[in-house]
Amino acid sequence: MADHNDPNAVNHIFSDIDYSPADLYDLFGWPTAGGNNVVFALTFASTPAAGVLDSDLLYRLLLTSHPRVAWPDSNEISLESVLRYFDAVKEKYLGELKTAEIRVTVETPNRVTLKFLGFPGGNFSTTVDANKAVAIPTPDGHTIQAFIGGRDDAFFNDLTGFFRSINYAPQFYHVPHTMTEARELPIPKTLLELDGNDLFNNRPDMPKWGYTQLDGTTPKLDLPAGPWTWNGNKFKKDADGNFRFVYDGRDCRAKQNCNAIILEIPHSFITPKTADNRLVNGWGESWVRKAAHKVESIPDDPSWLQHPWKVIREKESDDELRKYKLVDTDGQPFADAALSEREDDRQLGANNFWLGPHFIKRLAHLGWGFGPSISALGLKTSFNHDNSPVSVHKTYDSAALAFPRVAKTLFQKLNMSDDSWNPKGLPIPLRRPFEIFIPNVCAVDMDTTGSWPFGRRLEDQVATRFLAMFLDMEAEWNGRKYHIELLGQQGLWDSAPIVPKTPPNPLKNDKEFLDQFPYLAEPWPEKW
Amino acid sequence: MASQTAPRPRRLPGYAEELARAEMDIAALESSRQSHPVNLERRIRLAYRLFHRASLSETMGHFEAVAAVTREIIDEFGPKEDICLLQANLDFRFHRLGEVRRDLQMCPLLPGRFEARALLADLDFQEGRYDAARLQFERLIAEQPTWDNLARLAHWKSKLGDPSEADQLYEEAEDDLTAKQMQSYAWLELQRGLLDFTHGRYEGAWRHYQRADEAFPGDWHSDEHIAELLAAEGRFHEAAELFRKVIARSAKPELQQALGEIYVLSGRPEAARPWLASARATYLGSVQRGEVHYFHHLADYYADAQEEPAEAVRWARKDLELRSNYSTQSAMAWALHRNGQLSEAVEYIRLALSSGVRDAQIFAMAAMLYEAAGENGQSESYSQAALQVNPKYRNFHIHH
Repeated sequence: MADHNDPNAVNHIFSDIDYSPADLYDLFGWPTAGGNNVVFALTFASTPAAGVLDSDLLYRLLLTSHPRVAWPDSNEISLESVLRYFDAVKEKYLGELKTAEIRVTVETPNRVTLKFLGFPGGNFSTTVDANKAVAIPTPDGHTIQAFIGGRDDAFFNDLTGFFRSINYAPQFYHVPHTMTEARELPIPKTLLELDGNDLFNNRPDMPKWGYTQLDGTTPKLDLPAGPWTWNGNKFKKDADGNFRFVYDGRDCRAKQNCNAIILEIPHSFITPKTADNRLVNGWGESWVRKAAHKVESIPDDPSWLQHPWKVIREKESDDELRKYKLVDTDGQPFADAALSEREDDRQLGANNFWLGPHFIKRLAHLGWGFGPSISALGLKTSFNHDNSPVSVHKTYDSAALAFPRVAKTLFQKLNMSDDSWNPKGLPIPLRRPFEIFIPNVCAVDMDTTGSWPFGRRLEDQVATRFLAMFLDMEAEWNGRKYHIELLGQQGLWDSAPIVPKTPPNPLKNDKEFLDQFPYLAEPWPEKW
Repeated sequence: MASQTAPRPRRLPGYAEELARAEMDIAALESSRQSHPVNLERRIRLAYRLFHRASLSETMGHFEAVAAVTREIIDEFGPKEDICLLQANLDFRFHRLGEVRRDLQMCPLLPGRFEARALLADLDFQEGRYDAARLQFERLIAEQPTWDNLARLAHWKSKLGDPSEADQLYEEAEDDLTAKQMQSYAWLELQRGLLDFTHGRYEGAWRHYQRADEAFPGDWHSDEHIAELLAAEGRFHEAAELFRKVIARSAKPELQQALGEIYVLSGRPEAARPWLASARATYLGSVQRGEVHYFHHLADYYADAQEEPAEAVRWARKDLELRSNYSTQSAMAWALHRNGQLSEAVEYIRLALSSGVRDAQIFAMAAMLYEAAGENGQSESYSQAALQVNPKYRNFHIHH
C-alpha cells in the first residue's frame, strides 16, 4: 500500500485517548495514633477496574521527614524573598534531604509487590494480595498497614463548577486535541456568571451539559468558531438582583471508584528522630513500563514471591525504574489543575521549583477572575484587582509584574476555622500559599490533625479551601476572621446575593469514610 | 526455595487481541450512535477506532468504512480539526497527496498544528523537498520529541543520511513508547529490521523481526518481513509457505506479486502465474475505481513481473505526476530503460541520484543504466556503491 514511512498508521492513540491507570487522582496524608503513625493514600484511575490493577504500572510514594523550620525571611513580602524561598527549597530537596520510597508493582491483577527503599531500617520487599488490608512487619520491628486495591473515590467536588470557573472548554465542548489554545478559553475566569457569557453560563435547557454521567459520557456541545470572547462589563444578575454561582455544590465524583495505595506507617520507620522531624512530606508518582522492557522475557521472579524479606540493592532498584516512564505526579491538590495547567512537561512532583515564577503568574491570572467575584459578593479579597467591578482576563509574561497583585495572596497566613487542627496547642505557624504549593508535596505536620494545609485529611473540602486563598484573611465576617472554611459555611451563602445558595462544593463525601484502616470507603459495587 | 530460573517467555497480547478490542469498541460505538446520534465525540472516536482496525488489517473494506464515517461526520458537523486530520492521514496513505493539503486546509488553523506539520513534512518528503522535510522533522522534535517524529527523521536518515543515525533515532523513538503501545513498538522494530535488511545485515534483521513478533504477536506485518528475509536467504520454500499464510490473512496484491516472484525465482513459473495474475487484477481494479496508490506497483509489475515496458512507463509516469521523488524517478528510469528509452532513463536516474539517496537498489540500477549508456566509469562507481551499501543487494526483496 503506502510505499513510505507512515508512523501515524500505527499511532492509533493520536486522537482517542483511553482512561489510564497512570492518571493519579489525589494524595491524602494525615497523622494517626497520636502522631506516631502517618497515613498516606494515593488514589488513581480504576482502570481496568476498581480492585483490578494494571501490571504495566509502577507507583511510587516518596517520603521524607524533617523538622518544622521557620523560614527566616518570613516577614519580608517581596518577589525577591519568595524567589529566595524557591531557591532554598530547591537546595534542600536536591541536596540535603534523603528521600525514601515505597514502590508498588503489580505481579498479577490481584498480587502486588511493595518495595521499601531508603528507610533507616534497610531495604526490603514483600508481596501481598490486592484488595485486602494487610499488616507488613518490617525488618526493624515495625508494622505497616497496607491496602492496595479498589475503593470509593474519596474526592468530593463540583468539578464541573470548577471547570466552568476557569473556562475549561473540553468539559463542555468537543475540543480536538490539536486545538491546544481552546482548552482554557481566553475570557475572564470567574466564580459568578458573566452577563452575556454564552460560552459557559448555565443553560437551564441542558441540565446535564458538562456533567460527566455514570456511564462515562459527558454531554457536550460543538465548540463555536472563535474568536472566543466576552464583551460584557458586569456579572449576570437575575430579576431579584442575585448573581448566578458557577458552582452548584454537587459531587461530580459521587458513585465513582478509584484504585488506591493506602499505607499507615510508623513515623519511627521513616525517621529515627521523630521528636525533631515533625514534618513528613509525601508525593506520589505513576510510571508505565516502557515497551522495550515489556518484550524482555521477564520471569515471575520466585525470589520476590517467596522471599518477602529479600534485600535489594540500590542499583537494582534504579535499574528497575529505568524500565519505566514517568507519567504523573501528585502532591498538593489543585497543583496540577489550577496552577500547572495540566501540562505533561510540568509533571515534576516535589521538584517543581522551576515552576515558582510560573506559579506567581498563574495565581495572578486566577486572581483577576476570582478576586472581583469575591468582592462582588461583599467579601474582602487578598488579590489586588484595583476595585475592578467584574472579572478580568489577564495573563502575565513576567513574575515581577504579577507579584504586586498577588503579594498578599501568596504571603498571607491561611487562618484555620478553629483550633482543632492543633490539638497540642503548639506554636505551629499557619501556612501560606507559596509554602504550600512549592514544593508540590503533601506536608503532614505530625503535631496536627493533618487537616489541609497541614496534610490532607479525607474529609477536607480542599477545593473550597483552595478558593479561600483569594479571601483576605485579615478581614472579618460575623465578627470572626476569615478562614479557610468560610466559603463552606451555608450561612455565608444564605446571606449572599447569589443563587444557588450553596457552598461551591459538597461538604462531605457521598460515602462515609471508615474510622479505621484503610479509611477510604468500600468501592461501589457496580464497578466490581 | 529461592532460585534464579531461566526467563520463561510469556506470550504478550498481540494482533488478535488488539483487533478484537477494536471490533468491540467499534460495536459499542456503533450501538451508542443509534442512541446518541449527535454525540460528535463518540462519532469521532468511532472514526478513529475504525482507522485503527483498518491499520491492523489493511483491508480495503475497513479503510472504506473509515472514509464513509469521516465523510458523514464532515457532512453532518462540518470540518473539525481531528476528523480532517484523520482524513488527511487516510489520503496520505493512499497517495492522494493533493487531497492531504485540501483536508488540512478545511480547518484554517490545522496546517499549523503539530500533528499536521508532521504530515506536511511527510508530504515534502514524498514530493522531493527533502531538506524542507528534514528541517521540519528536526523542528518538531525540538518542540516535542514524540516517537512518531523521531521515526520520521529516522526514515529520512535511512534513505538520505547516515543509517547508523537512523537506527539510533528509531531506538530513541522506541524509548518513548510504553507497554500500552506495543503495536507501535513492533512497527519500529520492523523498521529497524528493514534498515538492517537493506544493508545486508540479515542477522540484525532477524533479531529485530523476531522482537517485533514477540512484542506484538500474530501480526502479519512481521510475518511479511520475515517471509521476505527467508526469500532473501534463498529459503524460497519456507518463504512461499509464509507468504501464503500472510496472504490468507491480508490479500494485498503486492504480497501476491511477491509470492509469484518467489515461485519464479525457485523455478516454478506455473505456480507463480495465478498469484501474479491476481496481483495485476487487483492493481488494475484499484485503478479502475479511481485509486492512485498502486501506480508504483503497476510500474514495477509491468517492468519485471510481466514484461510490458510501455505499460510500465505509463504507470510510472502517472505516479511521477503525483509525487516526484527518488523512488518514483528511479521507477521511471527503470521502466524507460526496459522500454528501450535509454537516454531518458539515464536522465531520470540522474535526477533520482541527485536527491542524495543512498539505496543499494537504486545504485545498482544506476550502474546498469550507465553501463548500457556506455558510461563505464559511472557504472563501476555505482556498482561499488551498491555493494558498499548492501553486499547482498542482488538477493530477493519486495517493495515496501
